[in-house]
Amino acid sequence: MYSIIVVPPPTPEDERNRNQFRLAPGERLTFGRSTHGVDVTIPHEGVSRRAGEITAQGAFWILSNLSREQTYVVENPEGAGEHMKVGPGRLDAPVPFEFSRIVLPAAGDLLPIEVWAPRHDYLHSEAGPDGATTAPAFSVDRTKRYFAVLAALCEPRLRGEPHASLPTVDQVVDRLRPNWPAASRTSVQWNIDYLAVKLRLKPGPDEADTGPRLNGKKESLVSLALRFDLVREDDLVVLAASPSGRVAR
Amino acid sequence: MTEAYAVPVPKGYRVGVWEVREPIATGAFGSVYEGRRTGDLIGEELPRTAALKFLPTGTGTPRQLTHLRELVEREVELHRRLRRPRLIRMYETLTVDDPSRPVLDGATVLVLEKAERSLSALLAAAPRPAAGPALLAQICEGLAQLHRAGWVHGDLKPANVLLMKDGSARLADFNMAAELEGTHAYTPAFSTPDYTPPELLWSEIGERGRRIRPSADIWAFGVLAHLVLTDSLPLPGGTPTARRDAAVAYARGTDELRLSPELPDAWREIVRDCLSRTHADRVGTDALLRRVEEVAGSGRSPRLPRVLPPRRRRAAVALVSAVATAAVAALGYGISNWADSGSGDAKSSEAASYGASELRTDKGIPVQYRRLIVDSAHDCLQKEVSPALIAAMLKSESNFDPNLSDPAKDEYGIARWTPSLLRWWIRSDGTTASATPEPPLSPAVSIPAMGRYLCFMEPLLETSLPGDRRILLAAAYRTSYKKVNAAGGIPPKYRTYTARVAHYLKEYTAPGKT
Repeated sequence: MYSIIVVPPPTPEDERNRNQFRLAPGERLTFGRSTHGVDVTIPHEGVSRRAGEITAQGAFWILSNLSREQTYVVENPEGAGEHMKVGPGRLDAPVPFEFSRIVLPAAGDLLPIEVWAPRHDYLHSEAGPDGATTAPAFSVDRTKRYFAVLAALCEPRLRGEPHASLPTVDQVVDRLRPNWPAASRTSVQWNIDYLAVKLRLKPGPDEADTGPRLNGKKESLVSLALRFDLVREDDLVVLAASPSGRVAR
Repeated sequence: MTEAYAVPVPKGYRVGVWEVREPIATGAFGSVYEGRRTGDLIGEELPRTAALKFLPTGTGTPRQLTHLRELVEREVELHRRLRRPRLIRMYETLTVDDPSRPVLDGATVLVLEKAERSLSALLAAAPRPAAGPALLAQICEGLAQLHRAGWVHGDLKPANVLLMKDGSARLADFNMAAELEGTHAYTPAFSTPDYTPPELLWSEIGERGRRIRPSADIWAFGVLAHLVLTDSLPLPGGTPTARRDAAVAYARGTDELRLSPELPDAWREIVRDCLSRTHADRVGTDALLRRVEEVAGSGRSPRLPRVLPPRRRRAAVALVSAVATAAVAALGYGISNWADSGSGDAKSSEAASYGASELRTDKGIPVQYRRLIVDSAHDCLQKEVSPALIAAMLKSESNFDPNLSDPAKDEYGIARWTPSLLRWWIRSDGTTASATPEPPLSPAVSIPAMGRYLCFMEPLLETSLPGDRRILLAAAYRTSYKKVNAAGGIPPKYRTYTARVAHYLKEYTAPGKT
């Protein structure tokens, strides 16, 4: 029932395997330099002992800046520079982004805490925001990178070959590069992993055959997306090169 | 409300023996019109008027929706297999063959019993109807008829309860209905937020859809009863999102349930038992029906009060409001004609081979537990917690006896759980149950909890221990991971037990697996 995922700054040991904290609405997570009394210790001289607090609030989250002097910047990594500032002492500032990076200025280093809000709701084309309407259980933002990745994965099957084999991660990278020059294996794989979290993919029994249970992740994502029409043929326009050349990191 | 009809059909349009008359309602997926039978049919039991539900399943439809086909198939399948007094009845299905109208060509038409209006229309026109308790008893009876037949409705709400001319209630709209396979059914990932139990909010979704249990309908019934009796929803909040957050807070135990003071005491208990935090604590359908009938004073064969005004003018007003309400709600129509109740062969052979790639099908593992065993193992990412291990442990613990009761050792059920320990593992969200469960402990509770407990212990067993980690895990289940770590392996006392587990583990593991 969690709605928010917090990924603390990487430490040298766990660069590959970063811890994640899942927060349900109402749960809070404190962070700071102190080794006790906070949930996440950030071992850096420049960080306050009790630096801040993240609280899941429904599908979004709020940030309290507990430091005395530092302003925290919350960036939207996909937002072409979109960001908000949370000044020292500000409590419970609501953060509107699905992906966020809290940047703590710490003696010249910038320490990023990532916060994901995968449960944001979007209006469904068929229905209004009414609690009595039968609505699909998924909501995706069609402007996000993960949607482009999903569209690229679904493309062969949407183009009329129901049993086409799925593109490899490298093929997806090539397909997306015109609109997203910085696309890489790592970033595409990151988006695939994020989609599995966002769409609440349950590992299926058949996938046990291929070793680690989430190996068939791409396959499961595509079949789920097609079955519930998350991606339709007219959505493939997100793959077309945009004339303006979208700015990308 | 002037919302466009999802499927516009001109008045006077002919399909089969039916002529389309006035529009009745539209939903996100299809539209319902009144149909009048043309011509006299001898020997066929078709009524003079019916409700025609048009679903745009044609290939020429601009929005070609794969999931729509699936929803239609579900509805037709239920109609075909099930016909019960409290479920709206379906007379026939037709397919429109009309290439000159691309929007309609290929559309599926369900010919359904025509109702007077929906419960949501009644509530909009007259909140807290005097007939509320009697209607609730009939709705509950409908749920019991579905559940006994092995189906889950999946989308119970006022728009999907239809009121007939005599004032009686029937359940309708079976797009989300699904047949139970063991303790679960799989439904498409659609839901109506205000009627969705907390465990299904943001729940995992597999390729077969979302797993639901009959207890999801029980939750929805609790919400609906509260609404009918008090004209308010049980969870606080001005928006569906706020109410969803309230449901989450309640389910997590950080908030209490505060039912409306207007709810009569007898109903308060019933609604509370429908809206328990976890599905396992919710009242069963048959027990619920007995209590609801008792409180409603309706007994086994309820006399149906007239909830609809008999006069013609008032009826016309009611119809207008039915259209208005249904325009924002989903279609309230569905049900059953073809009396052949089909056979469950395909389904049961599927259950018998469930997880066959890991768990042998020829070694006497009871079919009804296969899905629970396999799914419980797969809920754990530790590869040691395999379906074969869980099956071997159940065999060794109880010989698959769900009714095992050993008060001397304080162990009960198929997995020989001690209730005070089970309390820690009974909930799928990782929190502790608020009270110690009481025997009998059902397999649906015992087996997933066993999977969770094993999954928790696996990383806590020291890696230096000799031997098969799965067998070490079984020993830890019998005693504790601490004792196994302390003993540096399987304590001698438990070797007979672990030998049995090892024997069955080998026997149950599918060829090619280790």
